[in-house]
Amino acid sequence: MQDIRWAVRAQSITHEVSSGDKRLTILDDVSLDIGQGESLAIVGRSGSGKTTLLSMLAGLDRPTRGRVELAGSDLGALDEDARARLRAGRVGFVFQSFQLLAGFTALENAQLGADLAGHRDAAERARTALAQVGLSARAGHHPYQLSGGEQQRVAIARAFAAGPTILFADEPTGNLDSATGAEIVELLFQLNRERGATLVLVTHDAELAARCNRMLSLSEGRLG
Amino acid sequence: MAVDPTEPDARMHAIRPLLRRWLRTPELLILALAVVVAVAASSAVGLFSDRVARAMEDQSGEAFGADAAIRSREPLSSAVLEQLAPLSLRRAELIQFPSVAFKGEQSSLASVKATDAAYPLRGQLRTAPEPFGPERVEANGPPSGEAWVDLRLWQDLQLSLGDTLELGRGRFRVTRILSYEPDRGGGFTDLAPRMMVALEDIRESGLVGPGSRVQYKLLLSGARDQIEILKGIQWPPGVRFETAQEGRREIGGALDRARQFLDIAVLSAMLLAGAAIAASAHQHGQRLRDEAAIYKVLGATSRQIAQRSLLRLLGLALGAGLVGMLIGGLAQGVVAQAAQGLTQTALPPAQPLAALWSLALALLLVFGFAAPAFLTARHTPPVRVFQRTAPVGGSRLAAGVAALAAALLVGWHTGDAQLAGIVLAGTAAATLALGVLSWALVRSRAALRRRGGTALRFGLANIARRRWASVGQSVALGLALLALLLVGVVRSDLLGAWENRLPDDAPNQFLINIQTDQVAPLEAFFDARGVGGARLWPMTRARLVELRGEPVDADSFDDPEARRWVNREFNISWVDRFGDDNRLMRGQWWPADTRGEPWLSVDETAVERLDLELGDTLTLQIADRRLEVRVYNIRKVSWDSFRPNFFLVVPPGLIEDSAVQWLTSFHLRPDQRPLLRELIREFPNITALDLDAAIAQVRTILDRVVGAVEFLFLFTLAAGLTVLLAAIEGTRADRVRETALLRALGASNRTIHLGLLAEYAALGLVAGLVAALAAQVLGASLAERVFELPYRFSLTLWASGALGGAALVSALGWLSLQRSLRTPPRRVLAASG
Repeated sequence: MQDIRWAVRAQSITHEVSSGDKRLTILDDVSLDIGQGESLAIVGRSGSGKTTLLSMLAGLDRPTRGRVELAGSDLGALDEDARARLRAGRVGFVFQSFQLLAGFTALENAQLGADLAGHRDAAERARTALAQVGLSARAGHHPYQLSGGEQQRVAIARAFAAGPTILFADEPTGNLDSATGAEIVELLFQLNRERGATLVLVTHDAELAARCNRMLSLSEGRLG
Repeated sequence: MAVDPTEPDARMHAIRPLLRRWLRTPELLILALAVVVAVAASSAVGLFSDRVARAMEDQSGEAFGADAAIRSREPLSSAVLEQLAPLSLRRAELIQFPSVAFKGEQSSLASVKATDAAYPLRGQLRTAPEPFGPERVEANGPPSGEAWVDLRLWQDLQLSLGDTLELGRGRFRVTRILSYEPDRGGGFTDLAPRMMVALEDIRESGLVGPGSRVQYKLLLSGARDQIEILKGIQWPPGVRFETAQEGRREIGGALDRARQFLDIAVLSAMLLAGAAIAASAHQHGQRLRDEAAIYKVLGATSRQIAQRSLLRLLGLALGAGLVGMLIGGLAQGVVAQAAQGLTQTALPPAQPLAALWSLALALLLVFGFAAPAFLTARHTPPVRVFQRTAPVGGSRLAAGVAALAAALLVGWHTGDAQLAGIVLAGTAAATLALGVLSWALVRSRAALRRRGGTALRFGLANIARRRWASVGQSVALGLALLALLLVGVVRSDLLGAWENRLPDDAPNQFLINIQTDQVAPLEAFFDARGVGGARLWPMTRARLVELRGEPVDADSFDDPEARRWVNREFNISWVDRFGDDNRLMRGQWWPADTRGEPWLSVDETAVERLDLELGDTLTLQIADRRLEVRVYNIRKVSWDSFRPNFFLVVPPGLIEDSAVQWLTSFHLRPDQRPLLRELIREFPNITALDLDAAIAQVRTILDRVVGAVEFLFLFTLAAGLTVLLAAIEGTRADRVRETALLRALGASNRTIHLGLLAEYAALGLVAGLVAALAAQVLGASLAERVFELPYRFSLTLWASGALGGAALVSALGWLSLQRSLRTPPRRVLAASG
């Protein structure tokens, strides 16, 4: 029986990759549950497997062993496309390197997630989201015309516009100065607070991690 | 252990990783591929044309019996012979004249050819013991006392071997049937049945004397530089000098045309390769900027970075150029195979030096099209390592200059600036049209995005969002499609029209010496036997005595050809209307009912020789009267139509009272050939010339050339495909990133694939439409200005351009981007660290 109180559930996930003749274990028997509306920080040193765990939880990749449930669906039973459909409109992302499409304006970038979620009012949602992150005036600008902080705000607007129930953020302040980083963090928690969206953060930043409901530490692929 | 870098092994160690890195860099591979294709096409054509040109020189010598000849109506004066004395040339003497040969009471008009022991200097004489019997090669003409006759005379007089023929006071025993003379054809005395005898016998026959219609011919053969000296000599009036090449006008015309078709293949391959190189270099430039920023951070100067880029380009140009030359060398072998039979003799071996041009082309292409993008990397600020700036465009001006230079290089190499100009201007116009239309498509995104499903909207939105990248891609795709369609146009329309120029019912018989009172009976003769289409042309002889009111003689002109013209009588005709093998260049045709107006229509060749303009007056001496005429129009005659044509023509009612002969040409089916004997019996003074052999030779050339051209267009196709690949490859890195992101945000496989198809189909559609338009305009322009062929616009080409473009571009995009479309969404995280 699926338990929909949980936004994400991971049971004994192990992930191995080949490197020449050797098998490297990136994640080793990791289990965790993330409740709906919860904010969770995953911390750890570089190479500890944080980003891999995030990609497993978001269904971007599949573990070698173990089970992941996202929004009540067993990701292991879904193919690539089905996982994509599950994410569309439900899952939002914020990346360290922003990941905006170069040829697109800020508005078009912000609209992308809502478009893919099939929202007919995608453009309107994107405009509203840009206004929320304070970038209405920059709607027609391209990423290369925006500062790092502004680009990250467009990425957050992209997530806002699609109206996700869970937001994954991978080192969202890693490329930003502390003041700008603080603004971005505020926006992320705003989404978590105001819309009840689950927030899963991967970060090195102890201060940021401390603002979350819960913090998990990963070391050599194991939860500590 | 230290490794000496000059050791071959050490060098290989240094080169291998470099090569490996190049092989992993798709845009450099495409760049090199484009150079290889352009150089291969250019060197294949260069080598092949050089071989054909040399074979033609040899062959025309053989078809002429010598390398050059001096013709005259009188024996050559000692002054002329003295001019020849210092030159080391082999000589053969012969005389030709019409006479009547008797076998007992029977007689036939014969063209007598008397040769000395040195004849022929080039080519072979072949004889047979009976009609169509086994042939034998003869080193010389007949010995004294013997006569060799051709089949026509053999049949006319119903000869047998050993029969005696009387010619004047001489008696000759028929010993062989003459089946092949290397120098037969052309002049009027060659048309009647042939009787060949020894020169010494004729001197004793009393047939040759003052007033007799004899042509003296001194055949000359020797090294090319000696023949060149002969060309510079000023010959006295009445003496005509001719080289082997000049004697074969119709074959030369066909080969010139062939060369033009081959040049189009090279030109279009070269321009396309330039586009592919520019696109790949632009893409590689972005990569180089990242590298340059890191190098600068580590302490490299702009100069060092520029040197590194230039060395890389030089290596690339030389490497790809050499590979291209090798492939070109192999390809010219295939072309030569396809063209087997184009020349009667085997082609001489290829001269590798003739391909060196192509290496220059490789350097020009690479440095012209790729250097701007490569070199701008040196301006990259080191701060780029922290923050990527907006993409920087390459120097469009430099690439434009390179395109022009490359086209000029090919134009100069081919010696046809007009053809190069048309292809270049057409490509430039097509590029502009493609740019404008693509921009219109991009601008129309708002309308497009409101229609269709998510995938279609997404694909079309992609075009709109990429803006200039989409315009650039559409232009590149359009150019590639233009090349493909142009190949189609040239193959099916132009080559077809060229082949049709010589229809199956092209005239294959010429009749000359027709008298005015025979015109009506001859027409009745043709009508009664169902031979249609024979138009009779009147002709009289004239001499130019005044030009623009000033008396002229040979000394008035520097051009040796013009001197020859003024020296001798030439043929002049009159007509009310011109055939379709005459094209009006300037002025206008005279109305069909024009009579007696002192107007003159002049062929281009005569205009060039005499430096004529519309309105110039010429005074012609026709028999004992002088006639002043004014240049009314200038036309261009297609001499390979095998129909009678004249340099100078006047309207009817002006010169009819002069001594006139008529001539005609018509088509005779093989089964109608007995009619020829009947005709000669009924009109014994009329001379028939059988053109079947010459037509067959031209037809063979056409067939072979079409095969060779088709093969060479494979290079154009290859160049077109490299442009398509370069255009698609240019977006690969973006697509990998975008696909990962879209998947992460929830886009399905179907959405991504359909989006891509919609995007490429729309680009292909627009590019195909514009390319079809451009291909037709270019085709029509080439047909009109270069090939002088008829051309019709075709709707099929539009449909195939648009739909084929959409299908081809979608398929290629789909195939080449399949792997990128499979990018897993986790890459979006990996990329972010």
